[in-house]
Amino acid sequence: MNDHSKSPQPKGSKPEGWGPEIEELRFRRSQARALGGAEAVARHHERGRLTVRERIEQLVDKNSFQEVGTLTGQGKYDGTKLTAVTPAPYVMGLASIDGRPVALGGEDFTIRGGSSWSGDRKKGGQGGFVEDLAASYRIPLVNLIDGAGGSVTSINRRGHAVFPGVHGFERSVELLGTVPVVCAVLGTAAGGPAGRAILSHWSVMVDNTSQVFAAGPPVVERSLGQKLTKEELGGPQLAVDVAGTIDNRVPSEDACFTAIRRFLSYMPANVWEPPPTAAATDSADRCDEELLSIVPKDRRHPYNMKKLIGHIADRGSFFEIQPTFGKALITGLARMNGKVVGIVANNPMIYGGAMDVRAARKQIHFVEMCDCFHIPLIFFVDVPGFMVGKDAEAAATLREGMRAVYVGLQATVPMYTVVVRKCYGMAGMGTTDKNGLDLKIAWPSAEWGSLPIEGGVAAAFRREIEGAPDAKAREMEIEAGLRAMASPFRTAEAFGVEEIIDPRETRPYLCRFIDAAQPRIRTSLGPKAKYGVRP
Amino acid sequence: MAEIEAKTEVTGSVWKIVTELGQRVEAGETIMIIESMKMEIPVMSEEGGVIQRFLVEETTPVSEGQVVAILTT
Repeated sequence: MNDHSKSPQPKGSKPEGWGPEIEELRFRRSQARALGGAEAVARHHERGRLTVRERIEQLVDKNSFQEVGTLTGQGKYDGTKLTAVTPAPYVMGLASIDGRPVALGGEDFTIRGGSSWSGDRKKGGQGGFVEDLAASYRIPLVNLIDGAGGSVTSINRRGHAVFPGVHGFERSVELLGTVPVVCAVLGTAAGGPAGRAILSHWSVMVDNTSQVFAAGPPVVERSLGQKLTKEELGGPQLAVDVAGTIDNRVPSEDACFTAIRRFLSYMPANVWEPPPTAAATDSADRCDEELLSIVPKDRRHPYNMKKLIGHIADRGSFFEIQPTFGKALITGLARMNGKVVGIVANNPMIYGGAMDVRAARKQIHFVEMCDCFHIPLIFFVDVPGFMVGKDAEAAATLREGMRAVYVGLQATVPMYTVVVRKCYGMAGMGTTDKNGLDLKIAWPSAEWGSLPIEGGVAAAFRREIEGAPDAKAREMEIEAGLRAMASPFRTAEAFGVEEIIDPRETRPYLCRFIDAAQPRIRTSLGPKAKYGVRP
Repeated sequence: MAEIEAKTEVTGSVWKIVTELGQRVEAGETIMIIESMKMEIPVMSEEGGVIQRFLVEETTPVSEGQVVAILTT
């Protein structure tokens, strides 16, 4: 951390004339560094949490933090003499992560639980300086959230109730279309800070020490009579695994900072720059033998899609996003020959890869994020269609699923469709690059159509099957005939799919096209226009 | 000796129980197979342990997240 309390001063000399002011500056800075005082800091540590200054120090490059607004707070005076300063409960400024500038800030929980503070200009939160810094300089924003936001006590202070939106989210919303925004929930977040956590490209929270909700247990008990702990109401098991409100969960604050640095390593500083290319560390021509046997011949048997991704992406480069939510779909950032890509893959281990409402939501956000930052997308497709059944219909799978299709069809970033096995119906349609080259490559195990043959035969050939002496045998016979005609090689004859490849060739094939797409990416930069109405 | 709950990640029905009571299974080993969306989805042990109880039998309908077997480490 850049410590300017040790102001430059020639040895053996005294500052001429300004000594008292420099002394006051040092005193005020020391008050800021003390946060809420030794006792409050000790209590915070006992809860297993770091202070905001410790968090910043651990997250950013060594000595790279340049604080802004160090002196903000409430001074206490004995007459005209300053005796103490209670710092504003928010610390923020400019820093570097892996040598690249970021704007970052976070609530100081040791002062009034990190609740909001009213100065002439806001430091953080909605519309604060830290958001202005990210927007004006077009650099990523990292929010380290540990506060409950506003309090009804502010009515006493102001003498009136604040109209919702007076400190609006408009800047937060603008940022989502221009620079990467990361939010880490590092304590209990309710109200405004909880909302801000969602207004991000990627969010993360820490097991055991963080919770997020619209309103905490006292409000819930009073409103609904439900007695719940903070953890039950908004801990990671609910907020991440069940609801997908926050994207990833990590076991510790240290792991959180590692994950933030990792996420940002894939992101450009803004939408006017291409994603950062890394030196290639893995041969683009690598053809892993395991890919040949990864898909079982028996169509009823699932396989490990994550292993498949590991064999194709640059070794160790896959960073999974939302690994515990919507598990019928796998999403994550990776590199191919050093170039950043987004990977969307159906997971046959969960509902055979069918798109349920959670998978649809996951795909929508991820595809929009990659499209926004000009990150090409690879779809590893094994999708039998939308999830079926009463529960799926009640959850509006059809509507969310079509939103995923709509968002995919609006995206303009290059996409690559690799059909591993099933590609059926509308969910299958959402994996193609209709605004671009529409390059679809398939493995010999691929199959496609408007719906899986076994699901359609009974309905389409009902009379013929019912009229046959052995109905079951006739149904199987019709299925076998249709399946032979549905061979992917026949579609390739008609150029309905651009190529069928040996699975081992997938990595070199994709690397060639992703390398070749770089000029297209470099010449299509800037914010993405938004149009149309999402269904 | 800690208890481990083996849960199904999908709604469907139990197609085949491929282990026996008292059998030791390793982490990642298949305990039973659930039929869902015309696929055979394995229920795998998250940790190594010995199977103490099955809470379902073959053909039992199951819901996502349901505990289907108890193991002890």
